[in-house]
Amino acid sequence: MTQTEMAISTRGEHDRDDGDAGAEWLVVAGQECRDLWTSGRGLVLLICFSVLLSAITYLTSTNQALNFLEQREAVNLVLQYAVAVGSLLTLVVAADGISGERERSTLESLLVTPVSRRAIIAGKLAAGLSLWLGAFVVSVPYVWVLERGLGIFGRALTIGLLIGTLVAFGLGSIGLLISAASTSNKTSLAASVFLLLVLFAPTQLPSGLPQGWFFDVLELGNPVASGLRYISGGLVAAHSWDRDLSFLVSPLVVALVAGTALFWLSPRLVRLTPAGRPA
Amino acid sequence: MRRRLVFGVVMLLIWFGCGPAAAAPAVEVSVKPAQAAAVLGDRLTISTRITNPRNVVTGPLLAHLNIASLQEGVYVDPEDWSSERSQYLSIQPGSEQTLSWEIQAVSAGRFAVYVVVLSSGTTAAGADGPAVSPMVKLDVAPRATLTAGGALPVVLVVPILLGAIALALRVRIRSKARRRT
Repeated sequence: MTQTEMAISTRGEHDRDDGDAGAEWLVVAGQECRDLWTSGRGLVLLICFSVLLSAITYLTSTNQALNFLEQREAVNLVLQYAVAVGSLLTLVVAADGISGERERSTLESLLVTPVSRRAIIAGKLAAGLSLWLGAFVVSVPYVWVLERGLGIFGRALTIGLLIGTLVAFGLGSIGLLISAASTSNKTSLAASVFLLLVLFAPTQLPSGLPQGWFFDVLELGNPVASGLRYISGGLVAAHSWDRDLSFLVSPLVVALVAGTALFWLSPRLVRLTPAGRPA
Repeated sequence: MRRRLVFGVVMLLIWFGCGPAAAAPAVEVSVKPAQAAAVLGDRLTISTRITNPRNVVTGPLLAHLNIASLQEGVYVDPEDWSSERSQYLSIQPGSEQTLSWEIQAVSAGRFAVYVVVLSSGTTAAGADGPAVSPMVKLDVAPRATLTAGGALPVVLVVPILLGAIALALRVRIRSKARRRT
């Protein structure tokens, strides 16, 4: 057993009786957020995100084919992009969380710090979610300019924040699980992006396609597609908050299952090598 | 001679009376509301009541929603107004059925919205005339929607502002690093 492994072993003991985990995860989250935002990585991602939203907003406001439809549809389109891309950013940052630290050889120093592994996981997840929150803040002016005169600004932001946070939490948790299980950062990022593409594929199916029970099951079981559908129902069709609750089941289940698994398994996930592999 | 003339006239009347052009619709269709006003982009629901006054079941029927522009030069594509414009039904003798149609006003102008009911299925024949509802007169007012000019400040300012923050942050970090060295 190396010195670091001994330190990890000590941390494992610490995990079982940590009484100060509440403060620890805040310390880790603060450090992770500083790394993310002051290094410029977070801001660069947000600049790219804002360029994307600018292009969509400009096209929506100039293109007659979109313009003639409805303002609500335009607000819905931008909010859906904000939630989808914001979740992608969270997933990408989370997928780098553990495998990236391993590759940069910074995990060892993190493991010898006096914080529990649950706190490390919670802090990394919080940093990933901070990117989603940043994306949400960036999307606010776009929603405002597209919504002008409709009176759905508050409603759009509330739905977007709730659904986006739920989806980002679920995907961020999955990203960290993938990252912990991956042997390299490349594998982790590739697997996460592939997962996201799989989840987004059903949302891109043409609306004219015949939709039967299989499509309904596919949509209801997909946290991203369901979340986006809930946003559409609330904004475009002006459904009440409790009308499309069935679309919230899969985002909630994914967030609960992935979040619980992440925190339950965290002592075994934060290791120098993926679980089940020799050091 | 007179009898023959009367007989001939009666036969002619029967012939024209029973001809294909005179096939009476088997159902009666009414619509609510009779007229409506909306703003571009609004969604509204139109309700039709289809009654079978006869003492036999109607057989399979197709109710189809249609939208026509009452203004020359205003283009209407009914598919844009409603994605579900056909409903199939069958009505028992003396009964009625109410159908709802959700439409979205996607063009400004004056429009007629109406429903036709046709016999459907394998027994439908060309002689079966459609039953047409009275029209709903729909006035759609235009709305100043999005304009490129209105969106331009936000479209340009947000990325530039973020870029400026990123640049300022980088400059600050570099100057701090220089001070340390």
